Parts: sequence; C-alpha cells; structure tokens
Amino acid sequence: MDANEQMLYDAMISCKVPTVMDAVNKALDAGMSPVAIIDAMSAGMSQVGILFERGKLFLPHVLSAAAAMNKSMETLNPLLTKDAADDGQKIAVVMGTVEGDVHDIGKSITSTMLQCAGYEIHDLGRDVPLKNFVEECKNGCTMCGMSALMTTTMTGMKTVIDMLEAEGIRDKTTVLVGGAPVTQGYCDKIGADIYGESASETAAKVKAIAS
Amino acid sequence: MVAEYRMRMGDGTRRWMTKEQIRADVEDGVNNAVDCAEVPALTEDDICRIVDIMCEKGRTVSVEPGEEVILTQDGGELKLLNDSGSSSPVLEMSRTAAIQVHERALGMDTFEVAYFDPSTKMVKPVIGMEMAHCQNVMYNTIIPMLYMFMPNIGLYYQPTGPFGNPPDLMREFKIDEAMEAGENAMNMMRDDIVFIGERILSTGMDGLDFDTTASGGDLDFVGSLEAVEQIRKNYPDADIQMGMSAESVLGISGMCEYKGQLAAGLYPHQQVKLAEAAGVSTFGPVVNTNSSMSTAWNVARAVTMVKECSKQSTIPLQVNMGMGVGGTPMFETPPIDAITRADKCMIEIAHVDGL
Repeated sequence: MDANEQMLYDAMISCKVPTVMDAVNKALDAGMSPVAIIDAMSAGMSQVGILFERGKLFLPHVLSAAAAMNKSMETLNPLLTKDAADDGQKIAVVMGTVEGDVHDIGKSITSTMLQCAGYEIHDLGRDVPLKNFVEECKNGCTMCGMSALMTTTMTGMKTVIDMLEAEGIRDKTTVLVGGAPVTQGYCDKIGADIYGESASETAAKVKAIAS
Repeated sequence: MVAEYRMRMGDGTRRWMTKEQIRADVEDGVNNAVDCAEVPALTEDDICRIVDIMCEKGRTVSVEPGEEVILTQDGGELKLLNDSGSSSPVLEMSRTAAIQVHERALGMDTFEVAYFDPSTKMVKPVIGMEMAHCQNVMYNTIIPMLYMFMPNIGLYYQPTGPFGNPPDLMREFKIDEAMEAGENAMNMMRDDIVFIGERILSTGMDGLDFDTTASGGDLDFVGSLEAVEQIRKNYPDADIQMGMSAESVLGISGMCEYKGQLAAGLYPHQQVKLAEAAGVSTFGPVVNTNSSMSTAWNVARAVTMVKECSKQSTIPLQVNMGMGVGGTPMFETPPIDAITRADKCMIEIAHVDGL
C-alpha cells in the first residue's frame, strides 16, 4: 500500500466525512486515478466492518464511513471513464431473514456492509415469505441473501434454491446464506454459493465473486 | 509415521491432526483472543494442558473426582419436547415431567424453566399461566429452579413491535430517529422484564435467568442491566443469572451507557463488571465458535477470554457451553468428544464455577 492508498484507508477508518473528503482531494491532486481511490476506500470500508464486529467501532461509525464513501462518489463519479462507470453499475441484492424467523440483526448489518460496498440492497426484513425472495430475483436481483438463526427455519433456504431452480433462474442468481446455525457444510449441502461467517466476511466474498 | 489425533472443526466435521498442528491451532486461537478482547495470553502451562486434553485418546474426557462443577440447562424443558429441525427427541410428556427428567434422570444441579417462546415480549401476555406453572414446578422438584427468558429487544422493533428498527433506519441515514427508536424500545423491554421478573419471583421461584442477553446489542444489554437493578430492590435474595449471547456487545447505538460505562464493544471480562454492579448473582459469559476453525483453536480462544473474565469477576461464572459457543462446534447435538474436551479445559484452566 503506497502513501496515498494508506491515507485513504486511514481516513475511512476515522469514519469522519471531512477527513475522507480531504484525503480524496489530496489523492486526486497527487494524480491518483478515481478507480484506485475507490479501491483504497473500499479496503478501508472492509476494515471498518471488521472493527465493528470486534466491538472497536459502533454502527453509527459504520454509517458515517458509508456516508463519507457516498459523498466521495459525488466527486469521483464524474471523473470515471465511461467503461469504469459502466463497471460501477450497481448489482441488486435481495436480503432477508427466512419465513418463521424474526432474528434480523445479523442480516441488517450484512445489508449495511453490502450497501457500503456499493450494492443496491432490497432488504425485505424478517420472517420473509420464501416466494418473495424468488419474486425479487425474477424482478432483477442477481444475488439472493438469506439469513436464519434457528435450525427449524434455516431449511427454508433450500426451499428458495429449489424455487429458483423451478423458475429457471438459479444459474443467474448468486445465493448467499448466513446466520448462527448455518455453516459452510450446510451451504454446500443445500447448493448455495456463498457462506458468510460474519457480515464483513460475507461482503468480502460477495465482492470477490462479483469482481 | 507421525501420530494423528481425532479433532473436530467448528461445524462438527471430523479432521485428523498431528500434535504439532493442534499446538499451532491452540497458539493461534490464544493470539486471536488476545487481539480481539485485549486480554492476557494463556501461560505456556495452560497451552500445554489444552494440547494434552485435545490429544487424550478416549472418546470423552472428564475432570478428576472433586473437581466437578455445577451443571445447569438453560434450554428449559423445551429440549426434550420440541422438534428443533432434526435431532430433538420430541417426547410426549408434560413440561413438569420434562423438568423432573432433567432433575432425576439427567442429574442437573439447577434448572431453568422456560416458556415455549421465551422472549420477554412473548412471555408477558401469558404471565398468569407461567406463574401457575412455576408454582406447580416448585411443588414437584427439589433442585433450585430459575425462570429463564430472553430480553430480546429485537421484538420491540417493527414489524413485531411498535418502534422503528435502528439498523434499518440508520441505513437510510435517519440517525436521530434510529437513536430515539432504540431508546424507546429499550425502556419498554426493561419495564416488561421487571413486570415478568417480579411476578415470577412472587411465586416462590428461586431466581431468574436472563438468557442471550445483549442479542440486540448495547441497548439490549443496558435495558437488561437496568431491569436487574430494579428487580433486585424488591427481591434482594433472589438468584439472578445473566447469560450473554455473544462475546462482544454490538454497538447498535454506540452511545448507550450503564453507570457511566459505554456498553458497546465490551468483552466478557468487562461485561461481568457491569453485571456485578447491577446486582447479578451469577454471570454466563459467551465466546462464539468459528465454524471454519478447529475445536483446538476455538477452545483455546474461548478459554483465553473466559480465564480473564474469571479473574476479574467477584461473582460465580456459569459459562455457556453448547451449540456454537464456548469452543463447542456449531452443531445441533454437539459431538461428545468435542464438548467434553471444551468443558474440561474451561473448568481446569479458566476456573469456571459451572456449565
């Protein structure tokens, strides 16, 4: 990481809008490309997520960092080349806690992390009827994120995958699963694509698969 | 050929590892705990002891006679009656009979009676039935009986509750609205906990058990602490246990304090100090299991955090050991080889008072 990248990374972790904006302007003055600036800020944002999960930062800090990222994009977007701007088109992700399960804090935080990472989030909330996930995927979401806290409800994830198959859109949809009782083994067993142990890990895996 | 030992991963799957690999995982788990919770590392003797326990040949391990600790069950009678997906016995018996089985057949030292849907918000409407059940249980059992319920601030947020959901509001950058909603939910949850707690204790139950405290983050934790403080005023001799939901208190508000101490970001050794201040009698620390790491790694990490909690605490510790916590695999029926090793490490190295 060079000095400018480090400055942007540190500014994001400060979670302060003016500090981030100042770092972005300095990086532009130093000749850094908008894409490289966004990459460095994204790395900082990922670290903000990890620090939140470790109790070193709190949700308002995460949101403040996200606000700083959004504000920076107002400056950076006009400077992006057409190709880069097209690459930056938002991917739509439907998120929700599956039917019968009212535990949503992990899902909400994952939605926030993904939103901060630049995804368009359709958060359906908790106790979401399974068909609603499928409807969102039919209407343009290419990622489907499902959460469950209970062994009795996590089986709904497999049902959604079967419904996506039946609708003929499984191949076009990346399925993310998470929640306390869910493991990589369960993810593999039901044929989901991404298992996240935590919100930040989920966001990192989504970014890796989407890039 | 180098000897290999049967190990579990955090999701319960089997893996064969050499003693050197187990030692490396133990050291890594300790370092991770030090890094996350900012607690002292285990000593070399502690690390060697964990490795020895992990490498014991028997399927199960045990403590020496005289070193046994208090054993309780915070899943209530539900564990015998419910269908939890794939592994529960689903026995046809009454709630009281299920409690008697725990007392007379399974050897529990204390027990936590619980409603089928034990969140505070769900218990409040059926408090009369629960009080009658508690009285009946007290007539039919001998061991100390606590009433378990979960603070669960999440149910006070929409759509199940009257207040907006702070994480959702914050995602829309409605910070002030989110803070107000969180505080209102915390106050309503606290009042409901006091309502339930005082009525249950009036039946003669020995105490209360707050299960999965702070599952909704710092507001959930502070509301629960304030409730304990209020209940304690009217029931100074009641046994009040507080079991946590995770190793660190999530900062949903980030500004919520109890007795001048910010609640967000606290780890077990810091959480217990607030619990003591509120009047909690027994504290149940939780350390989360990483399902992608080995039992050696998870147990070492959990013991490192709980050992410091034990050192800092002036009240008994009854550590949470089970599905996905305390180094135990995230598995509906935790494998007996893994859970007995985790238990033994927790007793011998972290010096807990109960499981």
